[in-house]
Amino acid sequence: MQEAQAIIERVRRVSATVQRLDVAVDRAHRNVGAGQLFLARTTASFDPYLREPWTPVHRNGSSLTIERPAGQVYTPGQIVSLIGPIGRPLPMREKIRTLLLIAHEATPAALMMLAETALAQGAAVSLALLGAAIHYPLEALPEEVEVIRGDDQGKWPDQPETLRWAEQVFAVAPPPYDMSYYTQLLDSIRQVKMEVPAQYVYGLFQPPLPCGVGACQACLIRRSGEEVPACTEGMAFDLTTLHLLAPEGKA
Amino acid sequence: MTQITSGKQPLQLSNPVIGASGVFGYAGEYARLIDLSKLGAIVTNPITWKPRRAAAGTRVVPLDSGVLVHTGLPNPGIHQVYRTYAAKWKASLVPIIVHLVATSPDEIGRCADALENHEGIVALEIGLSDQATHRDARLMIGTLRQHTHLPILARLPLYYAAHVASAAEEAGADALVIASPPRGTARDPLSGQLVGGRVYGPWLKALALRAVGQIASHVKIPIIGSGGIHNPGDARDYLEAGAVAVQVDSVAWVRPDMVEVIARNLGGLELTRAAGALADEWQPGMGETAATRAQLLPSPRPIVPPSELPE
Repeated sequence: MQEAQAIIERVRRVSATVQRLDVAVDRAHRNVGAGQLFLARTTASFDPYLREPWTPVHRNGSSLTIERPAGQVYTPGQIVSLIGPIGRPLPMREKIRTLLLIAHEATPAALMMLAETALAQGAAVSLALLGAAIHYPLEALPEEVEVIRGDDQGKWPDQPETLRWAEQVFAVAPPPYDMSYYTQLLDSIRQVKMEVPAQYVYGLFQPPLPCGVGACQACLIRRSGEEVPACTEGMAFDLTTLHLLAPEGKA
Repeated sequence: MTQITSGKQPLQLSNPVIGASGVFGYAGEYARLIDLSKLGAIVTNPITWKPRRAAAGTRVVPLDSGVLVHTGLPNPGIHQVYRTYAAKWKASLVPIIVHLVATSPDEIGRCADALENHEGIVALEIGLSDQATHRDARLMIGTLRQHTHLPILARLPLYYAAHVASAAEEAGADALVIASPPRGTARDPLSGQLVGGRVYGPWLKALALRAVGQIASHVKIPIIGSGGIHNPGDARDYLEAGAVAVQVDSVAWVRPDMVEVIARNLGGLELTRAAGALADEWQPGMGETAATRAQLLPSPRPIVPPSELPE
């Protein structure tokens, strides 16, 4: 992890809600892994105060493509300060053949580099867009990705078959709905698999990160009897190791 | 060297800039972003006698030019923290001050006993709750005094700092930290709910600076200013108001590099522009100290904390 300056080289509007920035980054930031992010400071003022979470969706030599909401204003040539990479790369299995990605009420940006990596290895990748995520622009996705559109309850047609098909599942849901959705997802998986194997289903956490180095304790996640910072031990956690909500919604 | 505390074993630090509790973790979490050896000391995250879990629900709410944070003071308890970090504290290049939080005198006494005679700890800081009265301050700090030979820093709540400062001094505190981030309430844009927590931001400096000026005039022990420091000028304002040192907090979140700049500046380190360094890494006056500034001024203004501040 390092703090370094980066330069926005290009700003592309992908859709009414999404834009992508091509950013030339320091050498230390080039080998960012899938699921890792940066904390970016784009202005000299203190408003906004906390750094913005910047999630790379594509890596190309010295340049990273970052996805941001369309409402934010960025200009080519703008110099930004980046801290990162934050978190650990998503732990995708070697020689994976079938990968299921799920975005529930959230942009699937954090899963895009994982999809690229899996596709490059020849794996089949399906992406389930659920809830508000169904409005995510399909033109922002690799053509090889199969897109499944679900409902607001986090379900989609043929869900049991898809869950059986996938060798590994990565899901993203935003706070404060992350824990409740991951509980529901794990419950759905338990209905189709007698035993959920370790390292089969992961949930990404995207809480606001004040520090990004595990110091401020604002992003603690309860895992296997201990609390660990998502920014250093995540951002993805094996759902079978988490202290999830009870089916009734009570901890 | 800067003398941070009074008492029989005064604490002297090489730099008057200290990393505040709740921001810098337990040891070297920021080591990859900040040269921690430039700081005078680091205060650990709050530690309690028994383990505490993180707060449920929203913990961070962005504010205009600030942030509200509610962690719930999570920590695995004094014994587990000690087991995990004792070796790191001992080997730390920067002196470690342990921040203790307790709900009873018995707890604070036990915590102090658990840390007594440890080589890596140079002082204890006790965080007084926002509702602390004179009696609470006397009881908690007095008990801590009985259980430790280490210098005691008492971190006072912002809005009651002036009321409990004398009690803290009488009870045996060797220095006062003014002040802990005040509590606030804000609406979480994600959940739509109102959330309470401690607030951080540059605007906090004006409030804490006033408290430092008020208290400096009627206590004899050193004061450490804390709140809203985001550049060397902010830190120097605290020294001018009567503080001997400062604690920096949330600036580490927004501009970690600035922590080092502030420490270098107040530490009196002459900073020259190294070959290849970017222009924005240097600014005029970075190496100035209070002493050199005083020499440059024809008639330095005497620093007299006002006895009565205008409302």
